[in-house]
Amino acid sequence: MTAALTLEGLSKRYGDFQAVRDLSFQVEKGTICGFLGPNGAGKTSTIRMILGLQSASAGKISILGADDGRKVRDRIGFLPEERGLYKKMTPVDAIAFFGALKGLPSSEGRKRAKDMLDAQGLGASKNKKMKELSKGMAQKVQLIASVVHRPEFVILDEPFSGLDPVNQQGLEAVIRDLAANGATVLFSTHVMQHAERLCDKVVLLARGRKAFEGTVSEARATTPRFLELEGAIAPDQAATLPGVKGVEVVSERDGVRVLKAGLSQGGRGQDALKAAFLGGLDVRRFELREPTLHDAFIGLTGDSPDIDQSTKSQGAEAAR
Amino acid sequence: MNRTLLIARREYAAYAKTVGFWLSLLAFPLFAVLGGAIPILIRTSEPVREVVVIEEGPQAVGLAGAVQDALRLDQERREGRRLEAMAEAEKAGGQAGASAAGDALNRLGDLRLRIVETPADLTAAAPGEAREALARRYLGDELPEAEQLDSVVLLDRADGKPTARVWTRRATDDTVEDFVRDALKDANRRQVFQTVGIDAGVVEETEKFRPTVTALSPKSASGGEVSFRDQLPGIIGLASGFILWSLIITGASILLNSVMEEKSNKILEVLLSSASASEILTGKVLGVALLTTSVMLVWGGIGAFGLISAAPETAVQVGEVLLEGGMLGYFAAYAVGGYLMYAVLFAAIGAFCETPRDAQTLMGPIMMILVVPIIVMQMALNTPDAPVVRILSWVPFFTPFLMSARAPSEPPLIEIVGTMAGMFAFALFMVWVAGRAFRAGALSDVKLSWKSFAGAIRGGGK
Repeated sequence: MTAALTLEGLSKRYGDFQAVRDLSFQVEKGTICGFLGPNGAGKTSTIRMILGLQSASAGKISILGADDGRKVRDRIGFLPEERGLYKKMTPVDAIAFFGALKGLPSSEGRKRAKDMLDAQGLGASKNKKMKELSKGMAQKVQLIASVVHRPEFVILDEPFSGLDPVNQQGLEAVIRDLAANGATVLFSTHVMQHAERLCDKVVLLARGRKAFEGTVSEARATTPRFLELEGAIAPDQAATLPGVKGVEVVSERDGVRVLKAGLSQGGRGQDALKAAFLGGLDVRRFELREPTLHDAFIGLTGDSPDIDQSTKSQGAEAAR
Repeated sequence: MNRTLLIARREYAAYAKTVGFWLSLLAFPLFAVLGGAIPILIRTSEPVREVVVIEEGPQAVGLAGAVQDALRLDQERREGRRLEAMAEAEKAGGQAGASAAGDALNRLGDLRLRIVETPADLTAAAPGEAREALARRYLGDELPEAEQLDSVVLLDRADGKPTARVWTRRATDDTVEDFVRDALKDANRRQVFQTVGIDAGVVEETEKFRPTVTALSPKSASGGEVSFRDQLPGIIGLASGFILWSLIITGASILLNSVMEEKSNKILEVLLSSASASEILTGKVLGVALLTTSVMLVWGGIGAFGLISAAPETAVQVGEVLLEGGMLGYFAAYAVGGYLMYAVLFAAIGAFCETPRDAQTLMGPIMMILVVPIIVMQMALNTPDAPVVRILSWVPFFTPFLMSARAPSEPPLIEIVGTMAGMFAFALFMVWVAGRAFRAGALSDVKLSWKSFAGAIRGGGK
């Protein structure tokens, strides 16, 4: 498979702060790649370097065959993390304007804008001013504006943030459609569930470094399965069960605990359950759980994807 | 259409579609008309005050006549000035201009008071409290409107000198009081002159005398007498300097606000992913330049139409001044250079700010600097070669305004070429500096300060 994007040893430094360290990965054409990590992990800096908005301190980028995103900007669609459109413009005008900046003739841009707004259920709002639209509607308009020119490569920076669950589902469908139509999609998020459902591949980033690159299944496979046990059981009792390696208390109330017991390589859940009953342990609920991408992230990086890693100083930011 | 033009077109349309733009477009001509018309309206809408003048006894004899004479003389003097102004206006702008100037002066010139016959009961009343009580009645609202008076002037003498007690309907109206004071001053002066044997007619003639003063200069068009035509270039230069200043600052401020709006609405990053920083900056600068040019053309058109209608001969002379010696070309060059310098600077500052308050750190000192040419330009009207004017003309930030004001006085060629070259070189430097700052500011959320601005210029958003 041909790579639409290749990063080799990419680094970015703001003064004393190292935002991205020696980052290398590839995104194959026509695939959906999730670029995952907590806030402040270096995702936005990496995306800005890919787009050519910021230069790299070290390393190389190849996107759609070019060594600088600016050379192929008309073939790229970009939805930034912080979104906004001209408040006094109508959705059709805004979409046509941004399409025109990407080389799409204005009349064609307007036609596509109307069709795409209709398809997204925004037909009734296409001639209203942007400031009259709800946040969810405005985000849809901005997404349309970023892909109206039918880009070969689409970069979406935290596209799900601020959307309600219904709109999040709608956006997932849009991303699948883009890939189905041949576009390569790279989207960043710190919410792992979206990536699990959408991605052909994920790149996990923590503190500026790549922690993992591969499929979602491969990522999950790096983390052991675990048992969730509920009952009046002490952690040391659970630790004696066959195949169990490490127990942590998830919750405890009125002497009833929920325990998370990791299974060692080759450990079987059934053996542990059988031993628990034979040993007379008070097990009221037993569940064998496959690790999620969220679990895999914690296992691979030691960090939670929900914890902000922004530590940039004012001085470092000023140097940008 | 390329990206720069697309951005310029959006920028132009964004403002041209607003009500505020059309209001400001029409505000200047409207206020120019109102500025001229309001004093006339105020004067003409003022009622003519009906005044009675009463001598308070035999010692005051002659004072009422003096007040009446003063009113007549005043009206004659005003009429004389009106005729002079009409003659000058006719020389400059034809019969229509003279007639309009005459009408305006006539309306402005009338002293809005009339001495009316004193009601019999007021004349008959005993001086002192009885008469003053009656005066109060005539100034109040109890009598029918037709019988009411606006002022009662009671004239007397104390130690041989004229005095007056002026009763008026409104406590704040001092028109009659001022007029009576001047009239009595004149009466006293005439009396003193007569006492020492000087004829009253001679005094009157002397007071009416207006000397003929002719201004001459070897640099005038005729080589001798200075005419309005000779003064016109200086007036046009000063006016151009002020118009240029206000247009440049208006345009640059529009850019500042536009960039701030894009920054606060998180649009700049999307724009930067679609066009280069220089394309965005150039597009925005061009769009606002077209906007200010449109405003200038509309204002110029309205001004030209008004001048041609009211004073066609002056209009021809203004046209001659603008066209001779490439004056229009100079103004255009100074407009381009000046606008470029300030527009890119303001846009770069805007890229760091989301609110006007954010911009204050840098805008405060810049606005203070911008006051300097306003002060110096006025000096350039009378003494365009003053050392301070000449030296400050070399400062690129001041060049467009000061050289516009000086251009009609034909400064040395070396100064024209040198200051213009310096201005354009500095403008290009500013474009480079601002381009780096704009790019850095657009992607940064750091608070604006001189330090962060300088850091952004050094780093250029890398």
